[in-house]
Amino acid sequence: MPLRTKQVVGLLIIVAACLCAGAAPFLATQDPTQIGLVSLDPPSMTHWLGTDELGRDIFSRLVYGARISLGVGIGAAVVATLLGAPVGLCAGYFGGRFDLMAVQIIDLFIALPGLVLALIITAMVGPSIKNLILILGFVMWPAIARMMRGQTLAVRESAFVEAARAVGAQAGWIIRRHVWPNVAHVAAAQFAVTVAFAIFTSSSLSFLGLGVPPPTPDWGGMVRTGFDYLIINPAMSMAPGLAVAVTVAGFYLLGSREG
Amino acid sequence: MLTLIVRRLLLAVPNVVLISALLFFSVSGLLGSPAGLMLGQDASPEAIAQLNAKMGFDQPLYAQYLHWIGNALGGDLGHSYATQESVAEAILPRIPVTAELAILAIVVATLGATVLNSLTVARRLVRPFAVALGILGITVPNFMLGVSLIFLFSVKLGWLPTTGWAPWSEGIIEHLRHLLLPVLTLSAFYFGSFSLVYRAEYEAVRKQLYVRVARAKGLSETAVSFKHVLPNSILPVITYIGITLGQLTGGAVVTETVFSVPGTGNLFVNAILARDFPVMLAVSMLIIVGVVVMNLVADLLYTIANPRIRLA
Repeated sequence: MPLRTKQVVGLLIIVAACLCAGAAPFLATQDPTQIGLVSLDPPSMTHWLGTDELGRDIFSRLVYGARISLGVGIGAAVVATLLGAPVGLCAGYFGGRFDLMAVQIIDLFIALPGLVLALIITAMVGPSIKNLILILGFVMWPAIARMMRGQTLAVRESAFVEAARAVGAQAGWIIRRHVWPNVAHVAAAQFAVTVAFAIFTSSSLSFLGLGVPPPTPDWGGMVRTGFDYLIINPAMSMAPGLAVAVTVAGFYLLGSREG
Repeated sequence: MLTLIVRRLLLAVPNVVLISALLFFSVSGLLGSPAGLMLGQDASPEAIAQLNAKMGFDQPLYAQYLHWIGNALGGDLGHSYATQESVAEAILPRIPVTAELAILAIVVATLGATVLNSLTVARRLVRPFAVALGILGITVPNFMLGVSLIFLFSVKLGWLPTTGWAPWSEGIIEHLRHLLLPVLTLSAFYFGSFSLVYRAEYEAVRKQLYVRVARAKGLSETAVSFKHVLPNSILPVITYIGITLGQLTGGAVVTETVFSVPGTGNLFVNAILARDFPVMLAVSMLIIVGVVVMNLVADLLYTIANPRIRLA
């Protein structure tokens, strides 16, 4: 399958973000949690984007923030796929009462606002990186399950599945060897989109004050503090905000099939 | 038509009851003793027990839930732990604010998505612009868009107020000046996703025979696009509005926080940060009931817009 320009752009962004996260100790000019003497310094040669309200170097925090965003985003998408894909595959393949029940639950979840759900759960269990990954994965699995179910329904009717069933293959084996390989590309695309929206949602949570707890550098939280100092140093909120938008766009462009 | 409404309502009620029960049990189970939260850490066990008895916290959870539902149906949503104020009185004046914001955002998004993607003048230039704008709308988080708009229009250009809210009583101009940026911020995501849905359908409809007939009888491209293709391509957008209305409340929470709009979303965030259980529960319940009702309305709108479905 040839990659389109859109996907190439997305891939380049993701590679850049991953490099940024991986090479953070080399790219960062200072320790991201090191509290400095000069707070709210404007951008200069020593502090490329200035310093925040505690005198920490914003550029270094931005670079380290990539680790958190990518980690939470990809982690949540893995959890969502592990939960959603088996449910979707089984619902689509077996049909019947299990399918009916699964569709009911999926539709119910999809109608609920993911961010509000994540807010409520985070408020109850407390924010930490591990919790955020689990919560966002839990909030996002229904979309994957629905997509997988639809694809499985189409593959289930194909001749090779019928042939496998005719020679006496077991359902689990057919799903693994015949159905999954034919829906995996859709799952991969949906995975990328899920990463995009997991980063989107986790940074929104941070912006609202319920994300990764300080002093860990996190883009959403940085926008929130920077927002209070918008007039003094716009880069304080604009730079991390831009970072979120570009990273989300990267995963979205890679995964989305429309447009 | 009536049977359809009744059937959908019958399906909606158990959903609401199920979610509200889940919400009530999990929130109260995980938050621990509300009396402890209200009285602080130094409260004596006797004081906590006394308050528990007074507020009914010592009852089993299902009894508390039934009690809450009973009161809620009668319009009593309890009192805020933080302010002791009646929750119903805190929520009621905020509902129209959020509703206005949400409705305007949907209208702006729908108009923008359909009109911009139907334009036939300079199509080669407008289309890629619309596509790019749609991707931006979907991928730029609400909070970033809001902060950027404030930076550009309020801080740099000074055209609009930074944050806050002006009720209708302060004049329509002032009201709209405060409303413009929040509505734009909230509508961006929906503009993007409606565009995707609309464009797909638009391109399919454009290949239909009746469109060719319209063109053959000499109508201008613009007339063909807006009179024949647009009305026939808007159905999926209406369905999609129904599906996304629930997600919109999430966007409203962020947007209201950025712009300090005194709506339900703002109340919700503050309640969550303060662990104000009655307010949190009431607003969540409001959102859930709202989502179910709005999905119902969207279904009905759909049958009105497409008479073929009514027969089924």
